[in-house]
Amino acid sequence: MKISLLRERLLWRWWPVWLLQHQSAAASSWKKLQGRPLSTFMTWLLVALSLALPASLLLTVNNLNSVTSHFERPPQFSLLLTEQMDLDDATHLQQAITNWPEVARVKLIPRDEALSQFIALTGLNPLLESLPRNPLPHTLLVSLHNTAPEKDSTLLAKRLESSNGVDQVVLDTLWMIRLEEGLRAASRWVLAVGAMMLLTTVLALGNILRLTVVARGDEILVVRLIGGSSAFARRPFLYTGLWYGLGGGALGAVMLWLFCGWLAGPVNALFILYESQQRLQWPGIHYPLGLLAVAVVLGWIASWMACQRHFRQLDKQ
Amino acid sequence: MIEFDRVSRRHGDQHALRNLNLAVDQGEMTFLTGHSGAGKSTVLKLLLLLDRPTGGEIRVNGDRITHLTGGAVARYRRRFGVVFQDHRLLFDRSVHDNVALPLEIAGFSPRDITRRVRAALDKVGLLASERADPASLSGGEQQRVGIARAVVARPEFLIADEPTGNLDPQLSSEIMSLFEAFNQVGVTVLIATHDMPLICRLRHRIVTLSSGSLVAGDAS
Ligand SMILES: Nc1ncnc2c1ncn2[C@@H]1O[C@H](COP(=O)(O)OP(=O)(O)OP(=O)(O)O)[C@@H](O)[C@H]1O
Ligand SMILES: [Mg+2]
Repeated sequence: MKISLLRERLLWRWWPVWLLQHQSAAASSWKKLQGRPLSTFMTWLLVALSLALPASLLLTVNNLNSVTSHFERPPQFSLLLTEQMDLDDATHLQQAITNWPEVARVKLIPRDEALSQFIALTGLNPLLESLPRNPLPHTLLVSLHNTAPEKDSTLLAKRLESSNGVDQVVLDTLWMIRLEEGLRAASRWVLAVGAMMLLTTVLALGNILRLTVVARGDEILVVRLIGGSSAFARRPFLYTGLWYGLGGGALGAVMLWLFCGWLAGPVNALFILYESQQRLQWPGIHYPLGLLAVAVVLGWIASWMACQRHFRQLDKQ
Repeated sequence: MIEFDRVSRRHGDQHALRNLNLAVDQGEMTFLTGHSGAGKSTVLKLLLLLDRPTGGEIRVNGDRITHLTGGAVARYRRRFGVVFQDHRLLFDRSVHDNVALPLEIAGFSPRDITRRVRAALDKVGLLASERADPASLSGGEQQRVGIARAVVARPEFLIADEPTGNLDPQLSSEIMSLFEAFNQVGVTVLIATHDMPLICRLRHRIVTLSSGSLVAGDAS
């Protein structure tokens, strides 16, 4: 008794009244939620699921993005030379192309080397040995300078194609460009799904909070009758929204963590198979913080809307 | 000083109040009476800005109130203590917390709140029930808690609509004595009731309405 009085006095000394009002609103809403543990948990679950889904998609896209950023960026062409070109001709062509200003490097892969690489990679040894002669041509690998813009590289491809002794030009990095385009589309898709999920959450939370507001309609009515401002009447519900947001955001962060733990094994195994140094990127600290912030803001928006709707109805009567 | 100046309130073609002139002086205790549907509750609702007149003007201490909106309405209502027939207590909190509500709204410190709530509960004789659940109290006790809540922030005006409507004569007269006690310390009291036998025994001004107009008791 004595201690609590002393505490109260100290609090009063240092804490302004509005802070005490907030404290009491926060505590009373928390107590109300504690009184209904199951429905509180369900609401947290609702918020958590609808935020963890877009967050996990975002994480996936970010992981794929970091994979592609490890590839060599500048375009690379493979020039398949004609049958008639022997090793000397190929070396001459290599030197000629190396002098082109856009070209950084030209590597010659003689047909024998190409064949042994192919055998090592595929293990099709018996089949290939049964062929009368090496079916592979000499190949030049042409790497462009980092700065070469997209248009140049298609022009260059045409020029390379028209060079003497070149049978076929293959843009090696085409699949990568396609993947990047695909990822760009996927990022937008994640954004759209995320926005839809956020909207869904606000609507669902809004309905839940609306029920809370209606259930405590007596309190709102009395508070307004005896001179409480709208802000005062709204405050406990904003705290209910805050608690729903904090709980849901925290639960969502845990779900994201579990999701990563579940994926990490197979994904890392896949990276190892592809001889990549890359490993699954776990969500950084900004993920849980972002989830919490988004969830809290959603909770506030939802409770604000629920209160405004109720107040408007009261005013109409 | 509360002044109704030719105030009308119409619902469609039905007149709840018709050109009502009424003045209640500072420190006065006034009973508002009349048959059911006479417009008693309408007078109190207009005064608390729970409803707006369709004609005329209401002034409190000389200031027009009918144009107030938003936060100004909330601040204006804090000058009134209101007692309802159905007491309107909140059953999710203790007697103490019910009475404390107006003080929390006004932004008193926890220490002052505790002190004032105890004083108000003491005046209505319910200090011992401070920690009780209001649902566990009798009808008369609940009404006294309602009165404690109405007076705890020391309002200028005390307004009550049928405060004894659900109570037996013995309890009703106890409640009325409480109102008289607050009036004696300077609070202006306005009570709507049709409990004629009770208010005739008390020597206070009686204003009678009929079909939205004043029929007995002076306008001022
Ligand atoms: N919202 C409304 N819509 C239509 N008519 C209304 C409305 N509110 C009040 N009235 C009418 O206004 C008149 C006055 O009502 P009021 O509630 O002021 O009466 P009262 O004197 O308080 O009656 P009681 O003793 O029964 O409480 C009544 O005829 C009522 O029907
Ligand atoms: Mg009435």
